[in-house]
Amino acid sequence: MPFTKINSKLIEAKVFPGQRIFSQRGSMIAYTGEVGFTPNLTGGQGGVMGMIGRRVANEDVPLMTVEGQGSVLFGHGGHHIQIIELNGDTLNVEADRLLAFDGTLRQTTVFLGSQGGVMGMVRGQVSGQGLFTTQLSGQGSVAVMAHGGFVELPITPNQPVHVDPQAYVAHRGQVQNKLSTSVGWRDMVGRGSGEAFQLELSGNGVVYVQASEEKL
Amino acid sequence: MAQFRLQGSKVLAVDMTGDAVKARNGCMVAYTGQMNFKKLSGGGNGLRGMVTRRLTGEQMEVMEVQGQGTCFFADRATEVNLVRLNGETLFVEADNLLCTEGSLHTGTSFTGLNGMASGTGLFTTKVDGHGWAALTSKGPAIILRVSQGQPLRVDPGAYVAHTGNLNRALKSGGGWTTLIGEGGGEAMQVEFTGEGLVYVQPSERLTFGGDV
Repeated sequence: MPFTKINSKLIEAKVFPGQRIFSQRGSMIAYTGEVGFTPNLTGGQGGVMGMIGRRVANEDVPLMTVEGQGSVLFGHGGHHIQIIELNGDTLNVEADRLLAFDGTLRQTTVFLGSQGGVMGMVRGQVSGQGLFTTQLSGQGSVAVMAHGGFVELPITPNQPVHVDPQAYVAHRGQVQNKLSTSVGWRDMVGRGSGEAFQLELSGNGVVYVQASEEKL
Repeated sequence: MAQFRLQGSKVLAVDMTGDAVKARNGCMVAYTGQMNFKKLSGGGNGLRGMVTRRLTGEQMEVMEVQGQGTCFFADRATEVNLVRLNGETLFVEADNLLCTEGSLHTGTSFTGLNGMASGTGLFTTKVDGHGWAALTSKGPAIILRVSQGQPLRVDPGAYVAHTGNLNRALKSGGGWTTLIGEGGGEAMQVEFTGEGLVYVQPSERLTFGGDV
């Protein structure tokens, strides 16, 4: 069931019996109809391993299950919201950016340290966003948050995109990511430009970047 | 020649073909192609610019971005405004300067007490030459024209930048009692006289003047 944009910072979700939505706990603004909100200990799907993964990974932003019949308004912290429709493809997003998503989507936690060896391990430390990321796939809608709005940049095989780890929000498609650096060793130790590390995204897809380097 | 364009209201996209731009440190959010980032000392030109900056608190951490492709800049979700300079001089608070074309010259200029009241130090950043500069403002900036016989008064905390032949002077909005007693919160303004344009943001940063 699709989400509808009320304005840039508020979305509406319709809930029908037998269907459910997961949302970040506390992000409900208002609702009409008969809707129940229950804390979701396992954080959506993925079973016990998924849960442990999230705990270890700091990707355990508390979720709640939204069920019933009615319409619910979601918003959080005055952040910009982007609705992303998935048609069988995969979205990678940091858990704290995830506002709400369809219960039909498959949710897993992905270990990113395995990508790119040591640099992959460094990634979490540098971006302050942990070594894990949340992955959603299937058919359905996802609402993602950003500070200051979104820029969508296409990734094509001959045009990788480099993103500041702090400005990175999410990406979709067949995309590899690795930590890259565009400065020499001296710059890294000494007078840095503040742009020592970037996430390099290559393959086929889209990356969502926010107009800010602030965490949510 | 680097091409400056806006991607939405809060992201600056600069298309580069091997040339360089100067940008506020750490404000790159993404890029495609090949880019190199190098920190520049001080931000002003030469050693003197650097020393003045150290002394004055008008510190702008600047990097040089050189490369081939498109580089995207943004700063804490503030609005980006493009200014085209054709030989005139732009005065701007260092905090509000996001990026300039490599061909533009940047330095500092003494503002005296005006700067003190606006909470941004005794000096302001000066940009001159031919090319694009990108300013940030909290909320969309408006541009106000100042002409002979039509002076403009601006809240020091809302002032962002100005161009043209302008004199600035600190004015108090109220009498002496307002200054020490119950202020209206608008005790100090910067008055601009002459011919030029003033960029004002719809938000007020914390200032010494604003506290009075």
